[in-house]
Amino acid sequence: MRTSLVWMAGGLTSAALTPTALASGWNMPVGVTALSRDIYSLHMIIFWICVIIGVIVFGAMFYSLFRYRHSRGAKAATFHEHTSVEVIWTAIPLLILVGMAVPATATLKNMYDTSEADLDIMVTGQQWRWRYEYLGEEVAFTSNLGTPREQISGTDEKGEHYLLEVDEPLVLPVGQKVRLLLTSDDVIHSWWVPDLAVKQDAIPGFVNENWVRIEEPGIYRGQCAELCGKDHAFMPVVVEAVEQERFEEWLAERKEAAAQEAQGVDREWGMDELMERGEQVYGSVCASCHQPDGQGNPPAFPALAGNQQMLDDRDWHVDTVVNGVSGAAMPAFRSTLNPVEIAAVVTFERNAWGNESGDSVQPSEIAELLEKDE
Amino acid sequence: MASTLPPKPTPEHSTATAGGMAEVGHARPRGLMRWLLTTNHKEIGSLYLIFSLSMFFIGGIFALVVRAELFQPGLQLVQPEFFNQMTTMHGLIMVFGAIMPAFVGLANWMVPLQIGAPDMALPRLNNFSFWLLPVAFALLLSTLLMPGGGPNFGWTFYAPLSTTYAPPSTTFFILSLHIAGISSILGAINIIATILNLRAPGMRMMDMPLFVWTWLITAFLLIAVMPVLAGVITMMLMDINFGTSFFNAAGGGDPVLFQHLFWFFGHPEVYIMILPAFGIVSAIIPTFSRKRLFGYASMVYATAAIAILSFLVWAHHMFVVGLPLVAELFFMYTTMLIAVPTGVKVFNWVATMFRGSISFEPPMLFALAFVVQFTVGGFSGLMLAISPADFQYHDTYFVVAHFHYVLVPGALFAILAGAYYWLPKWTGHYPHLRLSQWHFWLSVIGVNLTFFPMHFSGLAGMPRRIPDYALQFADFNVASSLGAFLFGASQLLFVLVIIKCVRGGEKAPAKAWEGAEDLEWSVPSPAPLHTFETPPDFHPHRH
Amino acid sequence: MWQAIKSVLAAFLGVQKDARRREDFASNRPGTFIAAGLLMGVVFVVLVALVAVLAAR
Repeated sequence: MRTSLVWMAGGLTSAALTPTALASGWNMPVGVTALSRDIYSLHMIIFWICVIIGVIVFGAMFYSLFRYRHSRGAKAATFHEHTSVEVIWTAIPLLILVGMAVPATATLKNMYDTSEADLDIMVTGQQWRWRYEYLGEEVAFTSNLGTPREQISGTDEKGEHYLLEVDEPLVLPVGQKVRLLLTSDDVIHSWWVPDLAVKQDAIPGFVNENWVRIEEPGIYRGQCAELCGKDHAFMPVVVEAVEQERFEEWLAERKEAAAQEAQGVDREWGMDELMERGEQVYGSVCASCHQPDGQGNPPAFPALAGNQQMLDDRDWHVDTVVNGVSGAAMPAFRSTLNPVEIAAVVTFERNAWGNESGDSVQPSEIAELLEKDE
Repeated sequence: MASTLPPKPTPEHSTATAGGMAEVGHARPRGLMRWLLTTNHKEIGSLYLIFSLSMFFIGGIFALVVRAELFQPGLQLVQPEFFNQMTTMHGLIMVFGAIMPAFVGLANWMVPLQIGAPDMALPRLNNFSFWLLPVAFALLLSTLLMPGGGPNFGWTFYAPLSTTYAPPSTTFFILSLHIAGISSILGAINIIATILNLRAPGMRMMDMPLFVWTWLITAFLLIAVMPVLAGVITMMLMDINFGTSFFNAAGGGDPVLFQHLFWFFGHPEVYIMILPAFGIVSAIIPTFSRKRLFGYASMVYATAAIAILSFLVWAHHMFVVGLPLVAELFFMYTTMLIAVPTGVKVFNWVATMFRGSISFEPPMLFALAFVVQFTVGGFSGLMLAISPADFQYHDTYFVVAHFHYVLVPGALFAILAGAYYWLPKWTGHYPHLRLSQWHFWLSVIGVNLTFFPMHFSGLAGMPRRIPDYALQFADFNVASSLGAFLFGASQLLFVLVIIKCVRGGEKAPAKAWEGAEDLEWSVPSPAPLHTFETPPDFHPHRH
Repeated sequence: MWQAIKSVLAAFLGVQKDARRREDFASNRPGTFIAAGLLMGVVFVVLVALVAVLAAR
């Protein structure tokens, strides 16, 4: 028993000395935060403990299988219990576990310390995209899957970051403590980036907290980890970590763009502009349920092409997009899309795929509607 | 001891045994009615086993649909909607339709034989609890044909995906789970009543074979948690159809409450699927080591300890839902503690083999593979218990690898081991040796090729339940898919072995295995329809 | 009762002297052991919870 203890201790030290024991791509990434490294080393320590116990147990087992074969004329012994051996092999695992619980507890306490953050980001899961809001900065946007459908269906060749690319990544400054506040508009999602060792459920009606301090600039990719319906596989997370100055420039650009978009609300939009913008919005927001050809996927997702109720009643159409349908899968887009986008997408839906209402919706109408509701 | 010896059989008993009670008493129904109306534990046991085998193949086909789609990145064969229905149905069918009924079938056959009872304590209830199952699963499978498709929210059916956002067929899914749950509870009541009341005179609790012990404890677990499942699905039913808001945050409910309730059922449930496996393996290893089980008493204690701890660990499935720190620590500590009694079991099996006289008949091969592979699943379980690391493991293929190692090369291999062990008792013939060995080796290769690479794809970052994945996971998935098809195909060999074994083969004597000790080996092979109508003369080991 | 508690603790550890166990199972009153088991179960939960609370500080 003593020799095996020494053996175990030796294994533990060697585990600590060689943190990158397995080739990358087969193992958990070490990651780019202090916490991700802590978690990685916990992972490797417990892994080596398991390996050592496994070698001892399976070693003893295969030795017995080989040495005491019936075919070699082995005669069975008659012992069937041994109290001190049993006490020892109950106590030793217990001690190992206590030894393991200590560093795990320390790491966990660190993970739960979300105090004194430099930047707060609201992360909202929606079927099937992420929305990011820089709290106190008036900057918010949604982040959709960037991989073209042709790559998924196999008509185009798949790119390097297939399914792990988005139209607009979450941009974060390096070296800053960023607090993530997570929630959801519909079902439970889970925001996960392996290199940051952050995985946290986004739950409708509740706000979860987590935090990250990224140490190296770079692009870090992850995915939704909680089954959230049909396109669960198609809502990636991409984080672009940049230096602080670059981050501030980027934030200023976004604010500028938001201001310009707000001005667009007041002017009169032409049909062609609305259709063009609407097609773009439809593709990134609506097509995953109602399909690119507007045929939907009944009964959960009704067809829009040839939808008589929608074509006959423009106000109902606008209301459905703005306020959603309660108790069904259709979300309210009043806070996720701006008036220009809502007006454009409604106009597009009324005049695409053989729908010929010929009418349009102006951004100013939507803005008025939203104001009235508030 | 003398005071507890069996009473001398009365003359009444003797006449009844002379020609078999049933033949004398009344005419037995024939054909279909015989099976519909049977109250015989052996026939009902066979029904359970056949039912479970067919469900195993149906669930297996669903798994192969999943693996075929995942063979390559991109969407080739099925759409995501259908893929989600396949993963969900695969899980539900395998858990509730294959593994659990298989263990109940083994209990029906073997518990009365192992304790020297003439039948189960409540034979009509036994018939009822079996025939509920085909109804439940016919209903469940029929949802696949309904508008909007079958359940598509995973076998854990987290709200609100399974309530507000669920397909219309969900109400039928709830009903079918209710029926299956009633069946389980009735089965468990029957098993407890049998074990507590019908043991052969002189057989004390600590003389019972471990398969009986593990099933006794499992049955208590079933009775404790099945009502919780019934409660949680009834709350879903209300949310869907009657406008309540148990799990709907917009109405003041809590989606996380669903998970607490589900896992309070779900965690004991996973032990329900493994404890009887421990019992089977604890019968087989001593038999083929020709040596008594090491540490019988500690095996019983460890089983009870695992069962009790199973009620205290449920939230380790929820480490990333945002539990308070104290809860996170509590559940991490209790979960780590489970490793201790589980380890004791493995050590005891190894110590049983140590200085034994070991031979490698097919049941022993499967039991040995169980020990190794279950331990691998136990190791990944220990890793998952470390809460900070679980933030990386959670909901990835690492978890899929973990629970499949415990359930397939674990529980399923134990069931196969049990089948090979008791087939001579059931049919009177030994299973065909060569075919059994082929079945074993192809299964071992297939199952490990399927599930071992999942550890790597999970650690590398592949989430579970996705129909399409990034390119860096492609190689692991090719291996898993090939392994799955090999494993699936090699189970056809098992069917062949059973058919051959029923129809003929080398004749087995009453004591089919040299080292076998328990009471079932004192009745002829094949076991006649009625056994132990007179209680056997039981001589306990000196435990 | 004290005897039953000692036996339950031994069961928690999974190890018991053969003679003691024979003695325990000779008594025909499982009630005491069930009560002791429940009591020690509660004590166990409280103990682990206490450790968790202290560790979380």
